Amino acid sequence: MTGVVGPAAVFATEEDRDAYSDRFPIDPHRHRPFAALAPTSTEQIQALVRIAAAHRVPIWTVSRGKNLGYGTAAPVVAGSIVLDLSRMQKIEVDLENATVLLEPGVGFFDLYEYLQTRNIPLWLSVPGNSWGSVIGNALDRGLGYTPYGEHTRNLCGMEVVLPDGDVVRTGMGAMPNAPTWQLHKYGYGPAWDQLFVQSNFGIVTKAGMWLMPQPEVVRGFDVEMDRMEDLGPLIDAIGPLRREGVLQQSPTIGNWFRAANILTTRKQWTDKPGSLSDEVISAIRKQFGLGWWGVSLRVYGRETVAQANLDILEKALNAIKPMSMKPFSWRPGEPFAATQGGWMGVPMTFPMQSANWFGGRGGHIGFSPVLTQSGKLAQEQFNRTYARYREFGMDYQASFAFGERHMLNVNAVLLNLDDPQFMKRVDPFLRTLIADARQHGYGEYRAHIDYMDLVSDCYDYNNHALRRLNERVKNALDPAGILAPGKSGIWPAAHRREQKA
Amino acid sequence: MRHALLIGIASLITLGAHAADLNGQQLFQHKCAMCHGAVGMGTGLLARRMKPEVAPLEKREDLSAAYVERAARIGILNMPPITRGDVSDAQLASIATYLSKGKP
Repeated sequence: MTGVVGPAAVFATEEDRDAYSDRFPIDPHRHRPFAALAPTSTEQIQALVRIAAAHRVPIWTVSRGKNLGYGTAAPVVAGSIVLDLSRMQKIEVDLENATVLLEPGVGFFDLYEYLQTRNIPLWLSVPGNSWGSVIGNALDRGLGYTPYGEHTRNLCGMEVVLPDGDVVRTGMGAMPNAPTWQLHKYGYGPAWDQLFVQSNFGIVTKAGMWLMPQPEVVRGFDVEMDRMEDLGPLIDAIGPLRREGVLQQSPTIGNWFRAANILTTRKQWTDKPGSLSDEVISAIRKQFGLGWWGVSLRVYGRETVAQANLDILEKALNAIKPMSMKPFSWRPGEPFAATQGGWMGVPMTFPMQSANWFGGRGGHIGFSPVLTQSGKLAQEQFNRTYARYREFGMDYQASFAFGERHMLNVNAVLLNLDDPQFMKRVDPFLRTLIADARQHGYGEYRAHIDYMDLVSDCYDYNNHALRRLNERVKNALDPAGILAPGKSGIWPAAHRREQKA
Repeated sequence: MRHALLIGIASLITLGAHAADLNGQQLFQHKCAMCHGAVGMGTGLLARRMKPEVAPLEKREDLSAAYVERAARIGILNMPPITRGDVSDAQLASIATYLSKGKP
């Protein structure tokens, strides 16, 4: 493999193994890789998978390896070789059609800088921590906050290296030199793009993404709701407008703690273990002027249309009597606060200051069931989850992120890596949350490498027919079982013995 | 679309492997400033431990090149280690020289 990428792209010291391990781990030793390689071309990747298949060496591909909270760069199977695509950084923008063809090493900051320095009036959508890869995030179904906030939906056409070294281009890309590769998502016959999302069927070496034409205006409200029980009414006010298209962004309702844990640390408020008391919660909310729940709603586009939609939105929000409703208005050329970046497609890292909540080394692991947009059912799910956080002595961070029909309830468990007793509670806590949700038919949309099997196990209709289908495809495409064994709970026959939920 | 008209016939622009040709300051902007720039996570957390005016790394006078390289490779507190795939040894040396203002 060194012969393929050259010695300067092979990383196999103890320090390298640590650097490619999980940074927000429950057990830092569980997923340590053997080495990492940094290829720079599709041809090198083809050569590497052929060697890996011949020697049956497991490979774990990362785009930039910054998937904090989901395993960072670390593989499910310890001892795998990480294929780090950080050095593949080509960007091809199609200005007229508002698309971009990217290699996996391009980060959100890279693409943003590229567009800004050339005055290209196209926007990206960014996740709450935008350190990672644009393609990698879309391939893991990451979320942003603009009308392009469901990142996996922006994918349009891929180049993929299959486990036998073959290269396929999906959609219109199957026609050489087709000018429509980044324009039509399906091509002719079965559409394969989503089969390479959250899977281990191939290595995506290029992918098209749709970008958002810069809007004429952005307007909206930053809304705060005072009480815990205001969640349901807030969801019921937003849901119909989202489904109808009055609201086209992906709004995310967050609790007070999601905002506060970026701004302060726990020790400034209490030295008591266990969940924060109601008194402390009230004091922190008062200090920062936070509702129990908050949401930033935005309309984008032509001014007349956006304003008409905003008027409808304002009326719906006034009807549920918010604690506060702060207006936001922007047009191109005007400055805006850095904290507005998420709704303006500007990449950011400051939300990761939450890792310092306990004052030392921290991090987070998510628990993110897919819900309906029913306020009543969401309030019930919140009540159950909040009770579990208090039972296990955790501080509750949650968000409810709207899709067009569904809602993702992204809960974060903030870690205190300096406290072994605390860390012992994390795994049973997460397993309890997953089991509770499963009872109500709620499964997760995305999982940390430690929980991929357990989450996959919840999708068990007809004796795990979906898993059996995934594994039939896996074994057909990857008989040597080299590509990311265990990813999303999909195990090749060669590794089946390692599976444990 | 309005933007398409403004842009006219301009079409494809390609970014190459540009990082290889950048100097220490440019590499810092490209590889580090997302966290250690004005509003990044690194600056925000360092401002809790030192005077906020020197929280951005470019304002520091007490960094040695060896310290910067070590900190980047093994991580400090909530800063994850920077992998050699992301930032090569040569690139990190260049960044470290820039931030240390010549101190080895």
